[in-house]
Amino acid sequence: MLTSTGRRLRLGSLAVAAVLLLLGTAVGGDDDFPFGPFRMYATADDPNGRVLSTALEARTATGRVVSVDERDVGLRRAEYEGQLARVTPAVLHQLVEVHAHRRPSEPAWVGLRVIQTEYLLRHGTPGAARRSVLAGWGAS
Amino acid sequence: MSRWLLQPVAAARVAWLRTLVYLFVPVDVLVTTPWVARHDTAPPSLYRPLLLDRLLHLPAPTTLLVHLVEAALLVTAVAAATGRAPRLLGGAVAALYLEWMLIAMSWGKVDHDRFAFLVVLCLLPTAGRAGHTDRTPKEAAGFAVRVTGLAVVATYLLSVVAKARFGGGLAHWLDSAVFVRAVLRRGTVLGTPLLQHVWVLHAGQYALVLLELGSPLLLVLRGRWLYRLVAGYVVFHLLTWTGIGIVFLPHLVCLLALLPLERLRLPSAVPVVARASAQ
Repeated sequence: MLTSTGRRLRLGSLAVAAVLLLLGTAVGGDDDFPFGPFRMYATADDPNGRVLSTALEARTATGRVVSVDERDVGLRRAEYEGQLARVTPAVLHQLVEVHAHRRPSEPAWVGLRVIQTEYLLRHGTPGAARRSVLAGWGAS
Repeated sequence: MSRWLLQPVAAARVAWLRTLVYLFVPVDVLVTTPWVARHDTAPPSLYRPLLLDRLLHLPAPTTLLVHLVEAALLVTAVAAATGRAPRLLGGAVAALYLEWMLIAMSWGKVDHDRFAFLVVLCLLPTAGRAGHTDRTPKEAAGFAVRVTGLAVVATYLLSVVAKARFGGGLAHWLDSAVFVRAVLRRGTVLGTPLLQHVWVLHAGQYALVLLELGSPLLLVLRGRWLYRLVAGYVVFHLLTWTGIGIVFLPHLVCLLALLPLERLRLPSAVPVVARASAQ
């Protein structure tokens, strides 16, 4: 059996954690992890609006275009997508160097671009995709 | 409420939970979410320290720091899985895993599949010594199990609150195209064909909210109905995985706390050292 101090400590800690979690859910944000709101897929996309999807696309010296994933550059898509304003050509150059470090046996990249694909929805059904280049470094 | 929270549970439940949770840590670090370790080369200019990073004055992750934390976490988790020194080793795993999660989430994307897992890691050291065959009912074990269950349910229930808050009201979220967006961006071979039948995705949003709102039943049901319900949640998470490649594995491990793990038996092939620690 627990001592009365043991019981009080447990119930008190639980009460504090519960208040933090409820506060985080009601008024907090991602910054408050692990007490922030559980907001994955919590936004509401307009069924007649648009969906944006961002990706990195690299080019090798032979001109081959390669799609880039997190194993190449050590960053998940949602991570650079959430801070696109910071993804400057200098940062893209850093990612090219990260790839050379992580994948030394693969052909080096001579260019890297941030591609955004836009899907227009009509009654929730996606139409044709439209691609645009948001930022780039090196050969395009 | 406090009586329910402290209702004794067989110590063996905690012993099994320790084994399963601590052995899941290396699976998580090395197999299912290897992207965390890949932050060792992520550009410092994209590092976005979270509130906890700043409050604790944690250093920005470097290649050395990421691999030191990774190695220490793997060693302590495997050691803690033996059930020895539960406070010391369990406390170390909880602290290291929290730092591992801060390394994971400090590049601009925060996932919410880890809350219950962080809670169970904080609770396991508080449950005292426990053997895999020890059926003694203990309040500390009961508290650890009940609060883990509460964390699982809170993750589901408060996700509904987040949908209402960030989705412009729950009704607006339910009739939005959020699942269409999810499949467009992350669709798998099985998920993408659903874009031809978007009503399925729309209905799925209603089903998700029902499932999330129904989660308190996990704390109420017993026996066969509880097993069926847990199986139902596991199937839901597997369906999500087949559709968009996201699975809440750490969260699913926490669901195990709700089951009568104390009824499990150690297989006869288990090494002598593990049997000794189970006594």
